[in-house]
Amino acid sequence: MINRRTLLTAVAGTGALMAAPSILRAQGAGAGPIRIGALNPVTGSGSPYGSGMQKMILAAAEAVNAAGGAAGRPIEIIAEDTQTNPQAGVLAAKKLIEANKVQAILGTWSSGVSLAVIPLCNDAGIPLFHCSGAPALSTPPANAKGLGFRFQATNDRFGRAFAEICVKEGFKRPATMAFNNASGIGNTEGFRKAWEAKGGKVVESVVYEPNQSTYRSELMKVLAAQPDVIVTGSYLADTTILLREWFQSGQPVRWIIPGWAANPDLIKALGPEVTEDIISVDSVSNEGSPAYAQYDAAYQKAMNQPGSANVYAAMTWDMVNVLALAIEAAGSADMAAVVPKLREVGNPPGTVVSSFAEGKAALKNGKINYDGASSVLDFDQYGDVTPDFGAYFIKGGKLERRYIVKI
Amino acid sequence: MFYAQLIVNGLVQGLIVGLAALAVTLVFGVARFANAATGDTMTFGAYAALIGHKATGSLVVAGGAAVGATALLSLTVYALVFRKLAGRSVVALLVTSIGVGFLLRSVLGIVFGHNQQLFTVPLVRPIRFNGLIINPFDLQLAAVAAVALVGVFLVLYATPIGRRMRAVADNRELALVSGIRPERVMIALWLLVGAVTGVAGMMLGMKTIVSPELGWEMLLPAFAAAILGGIGSPVGAVLAGLLLGVAQELSTPFVGFTYKLSISFVVLLLVLLVRPRGLFGRLEGVR
Repeated sequence: MINRRTLLTAVAGTGALMAAPSILRAQGAGAGPIRIGALNPVTGSGSPYGSGMQKMILAAAEAVNAAGGAAGRPIEIIAEDTQTNPQAGVLAAKKLIEANKVQAILGTWSSGVSLAVIPLCNDAGIPLFHCSGAPALSTPPANAKGLGFRFQATNDRFGRAFAEICVKEGFKRPATMAFNNASGIGNTEGFRKAWEAKGGKVVESVVYEPNQSTYRSELMKVLAAQPDVIVTGSYLADTTILLREWFQSGQPVRWIIPGWAANPDLIKALGPEVTEDIISVDSVSNEGSPAYAQYDAAYQKAMNQPGSANVYAAMTWDMVNVLALAIEAAGSADMAAVVPKLREVGNPPGTVVSSFAEGKAALKNGKINYDGASSVLDFDQYGDVTPDFGAYFIKGGKLERRYIVKI
Repeated sequence: MFYAQLIVNGLVQGLIVGLAALAVTLVFGVARFANAATGDTMTFGAYAALIGHKATGSLVVAGGAAVGATALLSLTVYALVFRKLAGRSVVALLVTSIGVGFLLRSVLGIVFGHNQQLFTVPLVRPIRFNGLIINPFDLQLAAVAAVALVGVFLVLYATPIGRRMRAVADNRELALVSGIRPERVMIALWLLVGAVTGVAGMMLGMKTIVSPELGWEMLLPAFAAAILGGIGSPVGAVLAGLLLGVAQELSTPFVGFTYKLSISFVVLLLVLLVRPRGLFGRLEGVR
């Protein structure tokens, strides 16, 4: 039986624990392993990518440790699952920061999760490396301390790639449909800006609510404008419902959809007939680079699939390498010293290196420039990178890459 | 014609909400609390139907699986949880039902994973009728909703157990002294609620996609429709669902798609201001 006294003690105890982390967090500089959190979407809508992302963090950390560790200390990875859900992501991030006392969090995926987790990282003064697209993650308040680093293209850049593809495919009357969140609207607004800059006009645009049982009215409005292509900022679940209802409407139109929604799961759900000729756009890895070859080998070993199956895993592979190189360059795991070194080891000028071992050796002779498996990994002032994009066409139930788009 | 099409779209949306509201309102009427586990019980029904459909390819079997399994689950939850809490405050029951919902959702997530799953039914072209586009599946949906409603009605008004159920709903003490055994009434109620919830879950799952969060996200509109329809009124629940659906869709040319959800709550507010007992609710005497 809980009486008032035990309850009060418990409340006071909890309060003390919640206040404690600021003291407990004073760590990092000491000896022993450097603890890094791998916070990935192992379940939920990111699950097709999450376990691969996590395994590549572990594999890259192993490679770093095999090369003698960063700043003389081994890296220890503590893995958690965001469930692709902001609440679960925040709980896991709290645990990583307060219980495990990690020095950095790597590999959050959906924008909702990254936006929810980054304030915790700001408070703790540790960097967040993520694969999210929302433009809001570049600027304050989310990135007020410059601790957020994005290894994926922003939604804005995705929008620019969509516009390039529209030009290349000769579309004249694009319409947009966006899921009502930062990422969805980011895609379609990025597209609108780029398309209008080319002198084009968007014939209709609709922002729709999540979790509706039907999107027929939304589709009706867009289709009434007689577009020749619909550009979306959408996710898998809503795209599934949208495309099914569109197909039933019988009005021919082409679709340009981000790669995280137009993926093999979508084809599996709807079948080849509905998905035929959809253009799926995703950032592509830095294929052909020496870093990519190493990543590809590691991915094959861990997942029994080619590395090209998971662009986000290439990003998490780079996350560990860049972080380890920055720690090596700073000579300590104190994040206040490490974060400014991230751009130094990632951006030109400097000796181009493709792995931690190579970079560690080259650092002895001066500045380095890590060219990654996911992109050449040059961070701009916002901590964003600019990867290339691939235009994939769905043909007979298979995604075929037709060409690369550089923006 | 544009508005007629919006009305059709709204009716479809409303049917799904109405079915869920029917389950909510039945518990509300007889057991006297807001069952927040309704949404997750629907999800359970959707998964049961999915398994039935995958195993046999027959939608009838899927429907049977949804009804049977969900009715059983509903009864189990009653026997293990709500029966023990009989006579506790409404808040205690509400909070407990939220807990039951959490448990169900998590177990479904662990067992089936969080990836979306679909009923693989062949896609059919819609029927065009004077420029109106009507999807054959929506007609089936309407038929299923009508059958569910008639079924609930027959049970409530044409069977002895239904009469007892209504007696308990009206006045539990009076029913007791008249020799009605509430235990049996409750068992019948939870089986009926489970069956309706299972059907609602399956229809929602067929219309959209099946994931562990499917029903949870349906809960708020279902509650709104149950309240609007008059708590405890089965017809009210379904009609209110339709009304909210149509109001939402008709509002979109004026307020856009992002604000249509709030419109249904404005409608709810207005109706309750004019008619606090809901559309079909009865005035309750002060005891």
